Amino acid sequence: MQQQEIHNFLLKYFQANDCPILENHSGYMTVQLTIEMDKELMNRPFYWHYLEKTGGIPNPAKLTLITDPNSVPEDIKGEIIHFGSPRLHQIFASTKNLARYIRLYENHENGSRKTPLLPWLCLNVKISYQCDRKRDVFKSIGLQLINGQMVENFHERLLNISLTPKIPDYSFTLSPLVKPKSGILRIENYLKSAIYQDDHSWAEEARKRWEKDLRLLEHFYEDIEEGNEAYETEKKALQEQYEPKIKISFINGGLFYLTEKAIV
Amino acid sequence: MTVEIEFDSSWQDEFLQRIDQDGPWGNWELVRLAIEVEKHLVIPEFEGLQAPKHLPNLTPLPHQLETAKQVIENMNGKAILADEVGLGKTIEAGLILKEYMIRGLVKKVLILVPASLVTQWSMELNSKFYIPAVSQKKSYVWEQCDVVVSSIDTAKRNPHRDIIFRQNYDLIIIDEAHKLKNNKTKNYEFVQNLKKKFCLLLTATPIQNRIEEIFNLVSLLKPGHLGSQTAFYEKYKKDSRSLNDNEHLKELVNKVMVRNRRADTGIEWTKRHVETIPIDFSDTERELYETIYNLKNESDWIQGSSFSVMTLQREACSSREAVYYTLRNMLQKKENPTQAFKDQIESLMKKVEAVQTNSKAKKALELIQQINDKVIIFTEYRATQLFLQWFLKQHGITSVPFRGGFKRGKKDWMRELFQKRAQVLIATEAGGEGINLQFCHHIINFDLPWNPMRLEQRIGRVHRLGQEQDVKIYNFAIKNTVEEHILKLLYEKIDLFEKVIGELDDILTKLEFGNMEDHLIDIFGASSSEGEMRIKMENLSSMIEFAQSMKKGETHAAAGNS
Repeated sequence: MQQQEIHNFLLKYFQANDCPILENHSGYMTVQLTIEMDKELMNRPFYWHYLEKTGGIPNPAKLTLITDPNSVPEDIKGEIIHFGSPRLHQIFASTKNLARYIRLYENHENGSRKTPLLPWLCLNVKISYQCDRKRDVFKSIGLQLINGQMVENFHERLLNISLTPKIPDYSFTLSPLVKPKSGILRIENYLKSAIYQDDHSWAEEARKRWEKDLRLLEHFYEDIEEGNEAYETEKKALQEQYEPKIKISFINGGLFYLTEKAIV
Repeated sequence: MTVEIEFDSSWQDEFLQRIDQDGPWGNWELVRLAIEVEKHLVIPEFEGLQAPKHLPNLTPLPHQLETAKQVIENMNGKAILADEVGLGKTIEAGLILKEYMIRGLVKKVLILVPASLVTQWSMELNSKFYIPAVSQKKSYVWEQCDVVVSSIDTAKRNPHRDIIFRQNYDLIIIDEAHKLKNNKTKNYEFVQNLKKKFCLLLTATPIQNRIEEIFNLVSLLKPGHLGSQTAFYEKYKKDSRSLNDNEHLKELVNKVMVRNRRADTGIEWTKRHVETIPIDFSDTERELYETIYNLKNESDWIQGSSFSVMTLQREACSSREAVYYTLRNMLQKKENPTQAFKDQIESLMKKVEAVQTNSKAKKALELIQQINDKVIIFTEYRATQLFLQWFLKQHGITSVPFRGGFKRGKKDWMRELFQKRAQVLIATEAGGEGINLQFCHHIINFDLPWNPMRLEQRIGRVHRLGQEQDVKIYNFAIKNTVEEHILKLLYEKIDLFEKVIGELDDILTKLEFGNMEDHLIDIFGASSSEGEMRIKMENLSSMIEFAQSMKKGETHAAAGNS
């Protein structure tokens, strides 16, 4: 992420959370937090607890974030934000946390024509391949809950569609034939079968490394009487270190009601 | 090939609940941002380092990046980091830790370091690596914090020990790991019983160690890598001196160890300029020194301890305050002192009182004024340290004291004061370790330690990575005293001051001739004539020279092979 991207991201984040942007210059911004966002980001539960008990006037913090220290006037004090800074990662985590579930309708331009909207289940997931090393893949899968059509890169497609949280006038939703719960299961199975066909030489290699270290370990404790605690500990450590695993975790997902032609 | 696939099911329960309850639903803008974020955080390759992208304020050196990559990709996260002193092992460890944390492979971390370095480690991890490391102070820290820095001596004791063994650590880092060379110690046993999924052992000089020590260290990291104990000693003789004797063993060790050498890093080191400043005693100072010197011949009164005489002699070369302090102690500690003893001390005290000036201090003052920049003065004696602080103040020069006994916070504070406010830092010997002062490049050795390693440590505080200027070292020596002998016959002869950092370390380890100080006390204390002393000193320095030339030969041979 470049500094400019970070700057834009922060702006969007605070705007999406209804925080007034007091200042916005290239290189820094000052944001008035709302009470909710102060609680989300400032980590001062005692203050809020005290305030609520005493009925005081809440005074949520202002935050000045600097994205380009070189272009900031000297009298501006604030937190310098870069890709590794803890504050940014806190905001990353908050972004994900605040946006786990969604339901939207296509904001179509069919005017007063009666328009049916088809239900889609969208899951955005991260697949992690982990042994003593790790790599991840991002996947966005859409499943049409009437005919069972499965679409990859679903999120990218949604980006081209105008969406709204309220169902547009003259529109009606078709009820799903596939229940969301079994929809999730279908996507799970789809992802798993795709993963099975992957190249798993990485896992094989990891098992070889594991096996090798395990043999060394056994050899080392050969002379030592049985039931040695250190041996058991080390053995477990090797398993944790090398055992190949694949994890599918959710970023977010939800229901989208789209016109028939939205996804072709 | 089957690999277990874990599907996170926690998400869907809440999703279904929200469908039932018709919300609440998230904000589309945030959903899009979350995915944008995720795409930046996803790491599509097993190989390569992500950490540098997260550390815009840190510019790791090429050998440090290479080491981090090597440890993660070829050593599976278990390694001995054995760079020569001053090449930044801490940075390497920080890079590896950061990489694992970014990739989500490591969460819970235990860092065991010498007590004096605990705060420094957590500070560096926080400020340089943005890793929220916490110095262990309360016992709840073990459970509640993910990255904890502690001394091994605290950690191995209960109640800490039991709590630690209950934690599930992903990574363990041990600094100064060469202290774990003996497998019979409590520390060794403690570390052996820790679960080591990923593990880094940091040490400066393992390679010259005895083969037994290598075996213990490697077995701690990766049991069985060098075979079982019996098998190992059948194959390699226990008393074998050096790893270099055996190519196969060396190769094995290199699989778990990274050792960068200064010569290979291509880093330009600044130079050391050494200047010896001979100083004349004033008459009264000379008188005091001679009186002490002559005690050697009538030594009944201090139980023939040449050590005490030698100490007093060295102190007389530093300051009258140092002598006075020792004399007073001698008198106080003596049980039922004889009248003769009292008289003797009394007369020495008179000589001390007669001294009105300190020739070295005058010279130091002159030099500091002339340098007109930050200066560190090292002395062996606290009394001298206090005196110097007072003396410099009389002449309008600001100084701060520094001692090993200071608490970490005070050390940091003093360093800060020195950097921002004061011109001079006056440090005693023990203050030499665990503090980095690269912003200063003038050192005055007000008096000299008898252990060359300590001298090296003094200089190493200043002459290290990050020093941008040549370092000036001024050695004070009073003419015609034991001090001048040490300087001329030993230190200058072996070019000690010109050495590159770490070289001396190697040489002295190789020599294995015990404590340098003992040799010197023996030479100065037991020699009956000036001539005998000279010869003994020459023997000593030739031994060091010999080790040095051996080392040179070795480097040439190595260069020839590659």
